[in-house]
Amino acid sequence: MSAHTTTTADVHGHVDTDHIHGHDHHHEPTWMETYIFSTDHKTIAKQFLITGMFWGIVGGLLSVLFRLQLGWPNDTFPFLETFLGKWAEGGKISNEFYLAMVTMHGTILVFFVLTGGLSGTFANLLIPYQIGARDMASGFINMLSYWFFFAASIVLFTSFFVQTGPASGGWTAYPPLNGMRDIAINKGSGLGFDLWALAMTFFIISSLLGGLNYVATILNLRTKGMGMMKLPLTIWAFMFTAILGILSFPALLAGVALLEFDRLLGTSFYLNMIVVNGHLLDYRGGSPILFQHLFWFLGHPEVYIIILPAMGIVSEVLSVHSRKPIFGYRAMVVSIMAIVVISFLVWAHHMFVTGLNPNLAAVFVLFTLLIAVPSAIKVFNWIGTIWKGSIRLTVPMLFAIGFVSMFISGGLTGLMLGNSPIDIQLHDTYFVVAHFHIVMGVAAFFGMFAGVYHWFPRFYGRFMNDTLGYIHFYVTLIGGYAIFFPMHFMTGLPRRYYTFANFETFNNFNFLTQFISVAAIVVFLAQLIFVVNFFYSIFKGRKVDVERTEGEHTYGNPWEGTTLEWTAPIERIHGNWAGEIPSVYRWPYDYSVNDKPYISQNTPLAPGEVEHT
Amino acid sequence: MNRTIAMKSGDDGYMQELKGSTEYTGVHPQKFALWLGMASMTMFFAALTSALILKKGDFKSWENFRLPSIFMASTAVIIGVSIAMHAALISYRRAKFAAFRWLFALGFVLAFAFLLMQWLGFRALADMGFPLTGNIAGQFVYLMAIVHGAHIAIALLVTAIVLILAIRARRDPLYELKDVINPKRKLHMELLVTFWHYIDIVWIYLYLFLYFNYR
Repeated sequence: MSAHTTTTADVHGHVDTDHIHGHDHHHEPTWMETYIFSTDHKTIAKQFLITGMFWGIVGGLLSVLFRLQLGWPNDTFPFLETFLGKWAEGGKISNEFYLAMVTMHGTILVFFVLTGGLSGTFANLLIPYQIGARDMASGFINMLSYWFFFAASIVLFTSFFVQTGPASGGWTAYPPLNGMRDIAINKGSGLGFDLWALAMTFFIISSLLGGLNYVATILNLRTKGMGMMKLPLTIWAFMFTAILGILSFPALLAGVALLEFDRLLGTSFYLNMIVVNGHLLDYRGGSPILFQHLFWFLGHPEVYIIILPAMGIVSEVLSVHSRKPIFGYRAMVVSIMAIVVISFLVWAHHMFVTGLNPNLAAVFVLFTLLIAVPSAIKVFNWIGTIWKGSIRLTVPMLFAIGFVSMFISGGLTGLMLGNSPIDIQLHDTYFVVAHFHIVMGVAAFFGMFAGVYHWFPRFYGRFMNDTLGYIHFYVTLIGGYAIFFPMHFMTGLPRRYYTFANFETFNNFNFLTQFISVAAIVVFLAQLIFVVNFFYSIFKGRKVDVERTEGEHTYGNPWEGTTLEWTAPIERIHGNWAGEIPSVYRWPYDYSVNDKPYISQNTPLAPGEVEHT
Repeated sequence: MNRTIAMKSGDDGYMQELKGSTEYTGVHPQKFALWLGMASMTMFFAALTSALILKKGDFKSWENFRLPSIFMASTAVIIGVSIAMHAALISYRRAKFAAFRWLFALGFVLAFAFLLMQWLGFRALADMGFPLTGNIAGQFVYLMAIVHGAHIAIALLVTAIVLILAIRARRDPLYELKDVINPKRKLHMELLVTFWHYIDIVWIYLYLFLYFNYR
C-alpha cells in the first residue's frame, strides 16, 4: 500500500486500485470479461443480436410447423413424430401443441425477437457510437440487462420440455385460460404458464434495466456539440422507445403479478364463478377484463416499442443510401413524440368486443385514428427523402424501402380496424392477423434486416455478402406479401383454430390456406440464407476499405455516412475512439451539400456556412 | 484523464469531465437512471391502484371492509426509516462514521420492523375474516403490501451488505483518522438512501390510498 491509499480509502476499508494507478493503469480484460460477462456495449449488442437470431429461428420454425397443420389438416408428417414425440403422435400435431405453438410463436416474436433482439441490439450498438460516448452510463447494468434476457430465454425455452408443455392460452395470456393451474382447462396452464410468467418477469426486468441506461446515456453522455437536435433519428427513436418501455412494461408486470397471485395463492382478481367439470369453484368477484386493461396498457405501446427502432433505423438508412438529407427532420422527431404520447391512449381498441361502453369505445377510436397522423407524416417524409435522391440500391436500402412498403400496406388496414364498428366484425379473424403481421411483424423485421446489413461493417469490420442479401430480400419481400396479403380476403375465418375441416363454409379457403403455408415455408428457408450469410461474413466477408491508418488503428467509412460511428476505428476498441472523442458541429444529414457527397458531423462549419436548423 | 478509467472509479473527475466535454443534464447519469427507475416503479404501483379503482366500481361487498390499525403504525415506522436513513447519510457525508453506523443500523432495524408489522397486519386481516383467498377488497391489501414488501426486502438486502461492510471496516484506522470518503461510495450511498425515501413514500401513498378507499 502506498501513500495514495489515504486518498482513496473509504468507509468499507477498501482501496480503489483503479484510482491509485491512475493514468497508466490498464486492465487487460480476461476472456470471460471480453466475450461472456462483458460490460462493453458492442459485445452486449452482439449478444442481443445472436440471442434474438436464435429466437427468430425458433419462432419461425414454430410457424412453419403450425402452417403444416393448417395447410394440410388431413395429412400426416411422420418426421414430426421423430422430433416432437407425443406432441405429434402418428405425424399429426396435437391440438394442444398447436395452441402452444401459436402462443409461443407470438411471445417469442413480439418480445424476444422484435423487442429484445431489435432494441437490445441496435440501441446498444448505436447509442454510444452515434452520440459520441465511450460506453453506456452503466456498463454493469447494461450487462445485467442482457443476462436477465438470457435467463428469460432459458426459462422460456425450458418450458418446451416440461411434461404438460409450454403455455398455450395465447400470447396475451388472458386469465380465463391461464388463471388457474388446472391442466384440465388447458395443458399449458400448468407449469408451462408459470415458466412463461417467470420468463416474462425476467424479460421485463431486462427491458427496464436496458431502457434506464439508454435514456440516461442519451441525455447525459453526448459528446461536445451534440445538441439534441443534432442527434440522428435512430437515437431519437431508441430514446422514446426506452421511455415507452419504462412507462408501460410495469403495467404488464402488475398484470402478471395479479395473475400469479390468482394462480399460486388462490386470490380471485381475475376469476369469478368458474365452473370446472360441473363444480363451481370458490373464486368470487374477479374480472378477466381487468387483466385485458393491464395487458393492453403495455400491449399497445409494445407495438410501438417494436416499430419505433425500426423507423429510426430506416430513416437513417434511407438518407444515407439515397445520398440526401432526411426530409423533415423536426417533423420526424415530433412524430415520434406524438406516437409515444398517443400510444398510451389507444389500448382499449383491442377490447371493442369485451362489452366496452360504446361511448368509451368512440374515444379510443378517435385516438387510434389520430395516431395515423404522425405515422403518415413519417411515411411522407421517407418518400420525400428518397425522392430524386441518387439512390444506391444496396441490400440495406432495399430492406428499408421494403419496410416503408410493408408499413403502408399494414397501416392502411389499421385505419379500418381502428373503427369499432368494423373491428367488431373482423375481430379475431385472419384480417387482423394480416394487419398486424404486415405492419409490425414483417415491417419490423425489414427494419431489423436493414440495420443488420447496414451496420454489419460496424459490428465486424466486414460486409455481408450482397448476392445472398439480394436473394434474401426478394424472397422475403415477395414471400411476405404472399403469406399475408391473401389473409385479407379470408373474411370471417377465425384465427387460432386448429382446423377448419369441420366447417364447410370455409372450404373455399383451402387453396389459399395451402398457398400461404407454402409461402411461409419458402420465406422461412430464405431466413436461413440470412443466418448463413451472417456467420459466414463474420469470418469471410469482404473487408471494409481502409481509407487511412493512424497509429495502430485503421479507419474507413463503408457507406460514406456522416454519423460518428464511422469516425471510430474499424477495429472495435474498448472506449470506441482511440484518442479524444470527436466533437460535433453539424446535424447528421449533410449529404450532397456544399458540392461534397457528405460531410461528417465532426467537421466544423466552413467559413460563412450556415448551420442547418 | 482518460474517461474510461475515470468512469471505472466513478470519482469526481468523471463528473468534472462530463461537465467539460459533453452535453449534459447536470445530474450524475446513475442518479438519473435511478430516477427513471423510480418513474417505472411508480407506473407499476399506479397500475395496481388503478386496478383497485376499476374493481371497486363493480363490486359491492366493499363496504364492510376496514383497514387494520396496525397499518397506521407501520406507516409511522416507515417514516422513521426515512428519517434514520437521511440522518445516516448526513453523518456519512460529514465523515462521522460512528454516528453513521448507528443511524444506518437503526434504519435497517426499523425497516425490518416494518416488514414484521405488515405481516402482523395480514394476521389481523385474517382474524377479521379476510384471509388471502377471501374478499377481493382484502385481497388488494395483501397484494399491495406484498409487492411493496418485495421492494423493501431488496433494499434491506443491499442495506445489510453495506452495513456489514461498514461494521467490518470500523477497525480500519485509515478512514476514521483521515476523514476521507471515496466519491464512488458516496454516490452509492446517496442512491441507496434515495431509493429508501422513494419506497417509503410509495408505502405512504399506498396506505393513504387504501385508507380513503376503505373508509
